[in-house]
Amino acid sequence: MLACLCTVLWHLPAVPALNRTGDPGPGPSIQKTYDLTRYLEHQLRSLAGTYLNYLGPPFNEPDFNPPRLGAETLPRATVNLDVWRSLNDKLRLTQNYEAYSHLLCYLRGLNRQAATAELRRSLAHFCTSLQGLLGSIAGVMAALGYPLPQPLPGTEPTWAPGPAHSDFLQKMDDFWLLKELQTWLWRSAKDFNRLKKKMQPPAAAVTLHLEAHGF
Amino acid sequence: MALFSVFQTTFLLASLSLRTYQSEVWSEPLPWAPESLKVSINSTRQCLHLQWSVHNLAYHQELKMVFQIEISRIKTSNVIWVEDYSTTVKWNQVLHWSWESKLPLECAKHFLRMRSAVDDAKTPEQRFWSNWSSWEEVDGKKGGDRRPLFVFPKDKLVEEGSNVTICYVSRSQQNNISCYLEGVRMQGEQLGPNVSMFNLNHVAFIRETGTNIYCKVDQGDGIKGIVLFVSKVLEEPKDFSCETQDLMTLNCTWDPGRDTGLLKQLSQSYTLFESFSGKKTLCKHKSWCSWQVAPESQETYNFTLTAENYLRKRSVYLLFNLTHRVHPKAPFNVLFKNVSATNATMTWKVHTIGNYYTLLCQVDLYGEGKVTQHNISVKVDGEHLFGGLEPDTQYMAQVRCANANRFWKWSEWTCQNFTTAEAAPSEAPDVWRNVKSVQGDCVVTLFWKPLSKLQANGKILFYNIVIENLDRSSISKLLSIPAPANGTEVILDQCLYQIHVTANNSVGTSPASVIIVSGDPGNTEVEEERVKGTEDGFSLSWKPQPRNVTGYVVDWCDHPRDPLCDLQWKNLGPNTTSTVVSSGAFRPGVRYNFRIYGISTESVPYLLEKKTGYSQELAPSDNPQVVMSNLTSHSFTLSWKDYSTESQPSFIQGYHVYLKSKAGQCHSGWEKAVLSDDAVCCKYKIDNPKQKTFVVENLQPESFYEFLVTPYTSVGEGPHGAFTKVTTPDEYSPILIRIILPMVFCILLLMIICYLKSQWMKEKCYPDIPDPYKSSVLSLIKSKENPRLTIMNIKDCVPDSIEVLNKQEGTRKSLTETESTKPTYLYLLPTETSYSGPGPCICFENFTYNQAASDSASCGHVPVPPKAPPSQLGLLTSPENLPKSLEKNYMNSLGEIPAGETSLNYVSQLASPTSGDKSSLPTNPPEPALCSEYKMQMAIPLGLASPPSSGSSSLSSITLLEEGEHYH
Repeated sequence: MLACLCTVLWHLPAVPALNRTGDPGPGPSIQKTYDLTRYLEHQLRSLAGTYLNYLGPPFNEPDFNPPRLGAETLPRATVNLDVWRSLNDKLRLTQNYEAYSHLLCYLRGLNRQAATAELRRSLAHFCTSLQGLLGSIAGVMAALGYPLPQPLPGTEPTWAPGPAHSDFLQKMDDFWLLKELQTWLWRSAKDFNRLKKKMQPPAAAVTLHLEAHGF
Repeated sequence: MALFSVFQTTFLLASLSLRTYQSEVWSEPLPWAPESLKVSINSTRQCLHLQWSVHNLAYHQELKMVFQIEISRIKTSNVIWVEDYSTTVKWNQVLHWSWESKLPLECAKHFLRMRSAVDDAKTPEQRFWSNWSSWEEVDGKKGGDRRPLFVFPKDKLVEEGSNVTICYVSRSQQNNISCYLEGVRMQGEQLGPNVSMFNLNHVAFIRETGTNIYCKVDQGDGIKGIVLFVSKVLEEPKDFSCETQDLMTLNCTWDPGRDTGLLKQLSQSYTLFESFSGKKTLCKHKSWCSWQVAPESQETYNFTLTAENYLRKRSVYLLFNLTHRVHPKAPFNVLFKNVSATNATMTWKVHTIGNYYTLLCQVDLYGEGKVTQHNISVKVDGEHLFGGLEPDTQYMAQVRCANANRFWKWSEWTCQNFTTAEAAPSEAPDVWRNVKSVQGDCVVTLFWKPLSKLQANGKILFYNIVIENLDRSSISKLLSIPAPANGTEVILDQCLYQIHVTANNSVGTSPASVIIVSGDPGNTEVEEERVKGTEDGFSLSWKPQPRNVTGYVVDWCDHPRDPLCDLQWKNLGPNTTSTVVSSGAFRPGVRYNFRIYGISTESVPYLLEKKTGYSQELAPSDNPQVVMSNLTSHSFTLSWKDYSTESQPSFIQGYHVYLKSKAGQCHSGWEKAVLSDDAVCCKYKIDNPKQKTFVVENLQPESFYEFLVTPYTSVGEGPHGAFTKVTTPDEYSPILIRIILPMVFCILLLMIICYLKSQWMKEKCYPDIPDPYKSSVLSLIKSKENPRLTIMNIKDCVPDSIEVLNKQEGTRKSLTETESTKPTYLYLLPTETSYSGPGPCICFENFTYNQAASDSASCGHVPVPPKAPPSQLGLLTSPENLPKSLEKNYMNSLGEIPAGETSLNYVSQLASPTSGDKSSLPTNPPEPALCSEYKMQMAIPLGLASPPSSGSSSLSSITLLEEGEHYH
C-alpha cells in the first residue's frame, strides 16, 4: 500500500491540471456549451411543433418518418457508435462546428420563407441562440488550441432549391432540417459530456486510483 | 310561285346528295390538308399545344378553313375531345391551338389527330373534309425516370372552389398505394393498371403553405406528394385615389380587398400604368404606390391600377387633373403673440405648393366649451386675431389648410394651446352671515361663495373684509382672509355694522359685497311651518312683505346633523315669494330647517319665516328608551322624556303603547292589535307627540305584562323590538309592609334601649346570686355554731365513673357523613397527637347491625389517655362557653343513655350519629378509624380522669365531662 502511495506521488507532477495554478482550462467553456445544447434542445422542441403545424399534415404527425430523399446536403448526425467513440477531440469538435454552420445557414433560409411574423420571430430567436452555440464551440476549440475549419470558397450552402424541387419536397427538406438539428443537439450533448468528463481535474483521477487500490 | 318553291327545294336536296356522294367516293387528298403537325406540352398549365401549317396556298391567298381536332386518352379509340377550329389561313402561316386538360397530362398518354375543310364562300365546291392526319402521341412523363411512384400534377395553384384532378402513377403493379388529402384517405378511380385519379371538387383554402396531398406505398417507405395552393379569389382594388402634397409626387392609395391567403411569392402584384406618358411602375406595397410627377407640366393623368396573380388579373382606372388633387401638408410653426386678457394673435406657416397657389386655412378656437371657426386665405404665412376672449382661460387653437382654387382635401390639423392673461374679478362675492349672541357679544360667521371662473378672471388670492361701525361711521376692522377660505368668524358688540367683502386676484379687486349686521338677532318668535320635500327639493313659499325689500334670502344647512352644518343660501329677487330649494346633499330621513329672510332697503336681513321638512320621510328606526315607575298592583307609569322628536327620520305624530298580558283582555281606550309574529296584544294610541309619559292602569295584581312604546309617523311606526317585562305586585304586600316595618322598628328600638339599660335591667330583673364565701353569714356560722362546717368545694368531689364513647368509621360511609358524625363520639378520646399506641380496649361486637363491617374492620382499640386533658375539669365550671350546637348534639346523642350506670356505660348502635348533626365540628378531619363502626364502651380507671395539668385538650373532651349529664 505504501508502495502504491509512493507511486502516485511520484507521478503527481505529471498530471497537467495540478501543474496549472491560475488557468481554469476549457472545462467551464465545455460545461457552458453543454448547457447551451440542452437549452437549444428545449427551445427547438417548441419551435419544431409550431413549424410542423405550419407545414400541415403529414409533417406534424407524430409517427411521420419519411425517407431522407432531398436532404442529402444536410450534415448527418447519426454515426456508428464505434466510429463516434473513436473520434478524437479535435475531429469531434470540428464536426460539430461544421454541422451547426451548415444548419444555421439552412435555418436562416427557412426564416426568410416563413409567412407569419410570429414564426419568423421564433426562428430568428433560435438562429441567434444557434449562433451563440457556434461561438461557444469555437471558444472551446480555441481553448484547446484547435484551429477553426475554414469554409471553402463557393461552397457556402444556400437554401435555393432548383426548379425541379417541388413544394412537397421542400416541406420534406424543412422537416428533415428540424429533425437533423434535433439529432445534432442530442449528439452534441453527448459529445460535450464526454469532453467534459475528459477535461475534469485529475485530482479526481488520483482519488479513483487510490480507491482502486483498496483505500 | 308555289311550283317554283317546290322545284328549288328538290334541286337543293339533289345537289346535297351529290356532294355527299362525291366526298365518300373521292379518294383524292384535299390540297389544303393540315401538315407538319407538332404537339407540345405545358405541364404547369396542363395544356396541349398543337401547331401545324397548310401548304399549297397561293402567295397572299387567304382561305377560311375549319379544322376538326380529335383527342384520345390512353388509347386512340378512347376519344375524349372533338373540336372544330375555324380560322382564316394565310400563305405560309403556322397555326396554333391549345387544349387544357383536366387530368394532368403526365397521368396518361394522349393521342391527337386533325382534319380540315374549306369554309370559304369563294370556293364553295371545296366544302368537304380532308383525310385525318395520323395520330400524334403525347406522353407527359419523362421516359428515363425510373422512380416507383409519381403524383401529378406537380405543385398547383388554383382558386378556391375549383375542381382539381390528381393522379398517381406507379411503376409496379404489385404495390398497394394509398393517397391522402391532409391526412384523410381519398377514394380514387382506376384509369389504368397502375394509374388512379382523384377528383377534388370545390377545394377550400386551408393554410398559406398549401394543402398537402400525398400517396404512399403500403409496404415500404415510398412517399410522394404535392402541395395544392388554394388561393382566395383576387378582388378588384377599391377606393383607388391619387393626390399630391407638393405637385412633385403623386401618392396613390387603394384598398386591396381581402387577402388571397397565399405565400408572399405567390401573392398578387400591383402595377400602376399611366396612359398619357406610357409609364409603368411595379408597386412595392399592397395598398399604396408613389408616382413621380414629370418635370414637364403634365396636368391630366390617366392611371390604370392592375392587380395580378397567377390566376387572375383585375384593373381599375382613374383619370384626374393634378391641380385638383392637391392635399396640402399640415401648417407648421403655430405661435401666439400679444396675448392679453381678451385678445391673442395667432400666426402660422404653410408649405408652399407653387407660386400661384393660394391656400384656404380654417382656424378653430376651443375654449370654455365653445368653438369658433374662421377661414383665412394664406399665401405663405397666416395670421389671425382672436378677440373677445375670457381672461385667465386656456384656449386650444387649431389650423388646417386646403387648396383655395380647387378644394380637394383639408390638410391635417396643427394644434396649439394658449392662456389669456388675468383681469380683476368682475363680480362681488355672494356673502351671507349667521349671527349668534354669545355672552352679550354678537358672533357673526360670514360665508361667501367662491367666484366662478368667469367672475374671478384669475386665481383669487385673498378676500378683504372691512367691518364698518355704522353708529360711529368709522372703519373699525380690516381683515384679509387668504383663499380658498370661504368664510370667517368675527365677534361684534351689539352695535350696527356694515361689512364689505371683496375678492382679490393678482390684478385687482372685485366689487364689494355689502351686508349689514345688527346686534339684534331678529325675530326669533317666528312660527316654524312644516314643508313636504320631494326628490327634486323643497318648494318654499312665503308671504309678500308689506314694506320694501330689496330681495329675499333662504338659508339652510346641507348637513344639519354635523357641527359644521355647511350653511347654504339662495338669493332671490324682491318680487319672489316662492322658490324650490334643491341640493345634492339632501338625504331621506334628515330634517332640514329653512329660514327665509327679507333684505331691507338698508341691506339689513330680518327673519320672516321658518320651514322644516324632510326630502323623504322614513319610518323611525329606534324606539324611545322607556323608564317604568310607580309600579303598583294595578298600574305602572311609563316615561320617555329623553326621546328627541327633532332628530327622528320623520315627523313624530304620536306614540303607540303595546301591552301584552295573559288575559288578553283590552280595557277601554285600548284596542286589540296583532303583531308581525301573530301575537295578539293591546294597543293604546297617544296622539300628542309631546306627551312622553303614560300610565298603564287597570292591571291585575301578581300578573305578568309586557309593554312596548313606539313612535308612529305618516310613513309607519317604529320597530316592534323587544318588549319590556313587568310583573305587578301582590295586592296586600304594601299593607303588610306598612304594618311590619313599624313593628320591626319598634322592636329594634326596644332592643337598643334594653341594651343601653342592661345594667339597670339586670339589677331589676335578675340580680347576682350572692357568693357564700363572700357572705357575712359564713363568718357568723363559723364563729357561732360549728367551726368544722365549711362550704363544699367542687374540687373535692371525686368522680367514680367516666363514659367514653367512640365511633368506628365504616368503609361505606361518605366523607361528609364521616366528618359530621364523628365528633359526637370521637372527642371523648384523647387527641390523635397524644395517641401513643394501642392501649387497653374493650370491644363489643354487635353483629346485628353490620356483619360486613365487623368482618372487614379489625377491632379498634381506643387508646386510653395517660391523663385526662388538663382543661377538662377546669372548664366544667363554665358550660356556657361551649358552642351551642355542639352542646345540643352531644346532649341529643346521649339522651338515650340509661341513667344509673356508674361503672360502665354501654351505648347502643341505635345512637349512631345519623341524627342530623352533620354541621357539628366540621373542622375535625376524618381520622383513620382503628375500630369498626360499632360503638365501644370501656372502663377507665377513675384515676385517669383526674384534672389535667395542661390546657390543650379537645373540645369534645370537655363536652364529655359536662356536669349534670354523666355524673351521677
